[in-house]
Amino acid sequence: MYYIWYCTLNISVILVAFYMFGSFSTQCSALLFLSISFRTQLIKEKDDIDYYLEVNFKGLSKEEVAAYRNSYKKNICVDMLREGYHKSFTELFALMERWDVLREAAKVRSIFWLQKPLEEQPEKLDHFYHYLTRAENAERKEYFEDVYNNLYALACYFNTPEDKWVRNHFYERCFKIAQLIKIDGGKKEAEAHAHMGLLYEEDGQLSEAAEHYEAFHQLTQGRIWKDETGRFLNLLACESLLRTYRLLSDKMLENKEYKQAIRILIKASEIAKEGSDKKMEGEASYYLGLAYLAAGEYETALTVLNTYGKISTDLDDDLSLGRAYEATAKVLQSQGEMKEAIKYLKKVLKIARNNFQNLDIVRASTMLGDIYNEKGYYSKASEYFQQAFDTTRELMNMPLMNETKVHYGIAKAHQLMLTINNCIETADITSLDHLLSWKESRSDIAPDLIIGILNNQQYVLNSCKECEISSFLSVQCHTLLTRASVDRC
Amino acid sequence: MNVIYPLAVPKGRRLCCEVCEAPAKRVCTACTVTYYCGVVHQRADWGSIHEKICQLLIPLRTSMPFYNSEEERQHGLQQLQQRQKHLIEFCYTVAQKYLFEGKHEEAVPAALHSLRFRMNVYGLSSVELVPAYLLLSEASLGLGRIVQAEEYLSQAQWTVLKSTECCYATHSLLHRNLGLLYMAKENYEEARYHLANDIYFASSAFGTEDIRTSGGYFHLANVFHNLNKVDLADTLYTKVTEIWYKYLNNHYQVLSHSRLQQIDLLGKKFENNTGLDEAHEAEAIRILTSTLSIRESTSDRDPEKTVFVLKTLVLLYYLMMNYSKAQEYAMEAFILAKEKLSVHEQSTIQELLNLISAEESHPE
Repeated sequence: MYYIWYCTLNISVILVAFYMFGSFSTQCSALLFLSISFRTQLIKEKDDIDYYLEVNFKGLSKEEVAAYRNSYKKNICVDMLREGYHKSFTELFALMERWDVLREAAKVRSIFWLQKPLEEQPEKLDHFYHYLTRAENAERKEYFEDVYNNLYALACYFNTPEDKWVRNHFYERCFKIAQLIKIDGGKKEAEAHAHMGLLYEEDGQLSEAAEHYEAFHQLTQGRIWKDETGRFLNLLACESLLRTYRLLSDKMLENKEYKQAIRILIKASEIAKEGSDKKMEGEASYYLGLAYLAAGEYETALTVLNTYGKISTDLDDDLSLGRAYEATAKVLQSQGEMKEAIKYLKKVLKIARNNFQNLDIVRASTMLGDIYNEKGYYSKASEYFQQAFDTTRELMNMPLMNETKVHYGIAKAHQLMLTINNCIETADITSLDHLLSWKESRSDIAPDLIIGILNNQQYVLNSCKECEISSFLSVQCHTLLTRASVDRC
Repeated sequence: MNVIYPLAVPKGRRLCCEVCEAPAKRVCTACTVTYYCGVVHQRADWGSIHEKICQLLIPLRTSMPFYNSEEERQHGLQQLQQRQKHLIEFCYTVAQKYLFEGKHEEAVPAALHSLRFRMNVYGLSSVELVPAYLLLSEASLGLGRIVQAEEYLSQAQWTVLKSTECCYATHSLLHRNLGLLYMAKENYEEARYHLANDIYFASSAFGTEDIRTSGGYFHLANVFHNLNKVDLADTLYTKVTEIWYKYLNNHYQVLSHSRLQQIDLLGKKFENNTGLDEAHEAEAIRILTSTLSIRESTSDRDPEKTVFVLKTLVLLYYLMMNYSKAQEYAMEAFILAKEKLSVHEQSTIQELLNLISAEESHPE
């Protein structure tokens, strides 16, 4: 507007000048000429006017209008495409579509419905823009290391439980890119294998995870690479590989595929040996020993567990030593060498007491009690069961307490049964007195369910005072006990 | 007989030229309902669209016959509407095909027809007018009439802006044409903005890997090519070629699969087809041939890419049953591959060649 006004002013000034100095006819032709030239000038300078307006009148530019009118998601996409980052755009677009699909699915199941759509999370979109475009730029110039770094940064950014699938997507991309990086001797590739392994492990596909970890381990062998926290990659590889192998073998043991499980665990222990980390080696042999035990190869199990014990002693690691002894005792128990087993279990008990490992105490004493119970040393059995029971009471662990309670009750009942049987079998006045007095004074006995039932039986017994019936009842007592122990199982 | 006698014309009929809307002096003798200002426009219209729709226009432009009941009248009206809608689509496709073939002059009358029928059916401010505006603008651009093209585009943009419901496909087309306009004006900044919008909307409508999205990528590639950003243009051209190759290859696989399955049932061979309409085929040819020419100029550096484009073209012509062209391109690819590429690549092209010659030796 200003411009046009200014032009008209100009014309009128010139006209006035003509009017003053020239004749009328020249004035007319001049007017015509001027108006024509003015119009062409105006059209020619339309762009200039636009520019002038844009510079001097601070309105909204086209970009600002677009930013206001359109969603942030669209603006980001358009920005990417304008600069020619079409691969980033395709990737982001595909991710957003998947995001929407997941959201729809979640809506049906009404889990993580709280998650906002991507369009409403500008900082996430900004991250996508920043790293994806940089990655694509680097990819164009074939700087694969930069590509990897950018993609990895994105993967790290999305390392939250609800965005796990985004992270996994970028781990996969990293993996593909890493295979193209040759300069660093395979460090990136190794890292990518580690991420893929983690991805599969979390997904529960253990054999695939093991494959990736194996590759990771192979690539890091003999290298002194470290990760961001300063840990050796090779050690990390060993750890993850062992963990996966253990999980795999656990699954196989569940399916009774002992041979395969043992083969995998042997592989694991070899890797642990190469990793030159004593603790890991010990762990590996412990699980191998357990596998042998499950497979029924007791001798081998014993030797393997022995090495574990030795390693633990070398490391002064009481806890693992306790575990070693416990496992050894289990093997011995299965072999039927109770004395040896008892020896080991007592060691375990001692170690556990020294280290205040209450759960270990409970386990060991229960096992000891079981062994004594089987052998018929009921008083000793009940002593150990009592220990277990007392410890669980301290722990406030209800299910464990209930279990030990039953054990304790059974042992106690066994202990009582002997004397009561004797009394019944002799069937004279003194023994009857014994029974009666016990019946009156049994308040000192723990008010246990089984004993309660036993008492009832005894009560019936007393009132009958018949020998034949009493013998029958004592048999019934025993069946009750066994049933109780079956129930416990 | 072409001359009009105004008094002999039925009452109420508009006597203006079909092409330029000037007072009419001539009439088409075949349908007697279409008028022209002169021989030039009549010829242009005949060559473009009138030959194809001449007889279809008669029921639209004569007064309705007398119906006995309201019901019949309604039915007649509905049929009229139906016919107009059919004509809209038909004219649109014809115009589009001309455009893709580069015959801009011929496209104008067809596009104008489409626009006029749309105005009749949908009213003046409907979004349905936008595709016709876009066709006209594209034709004007092709003829070098930038101002006119801008006018049509502004019209289209205003219509889209006013309407609340406008599908992504239309948005995409609008932005594509705006991009083309700015490219013609050599304002590459704006062109990039609009083409980016085009790709975004097309992706929202059809997906990022669809052949309908490929046009946006192609034009964007051209912009970068003009800006001398060769590597950027290069990746975009690759993307376009990939999209087309994927589509054609997929289609070919499906065809050969169904051919294998049903050959016994029907006892006759399936004919090849691309599964596309004519306009899309023309677009494919234009995009791929211009990509090829760009590739050939840099063929020394990466022959793989040239061969890839050639292979895509071979597939396209094969599916279009234009075997001589397919053969030609395949030979070209074969020679290039023999010089510079691996044995594996050569063998795949050899397979294509065999396929084509097998088709040629067994014509229907």
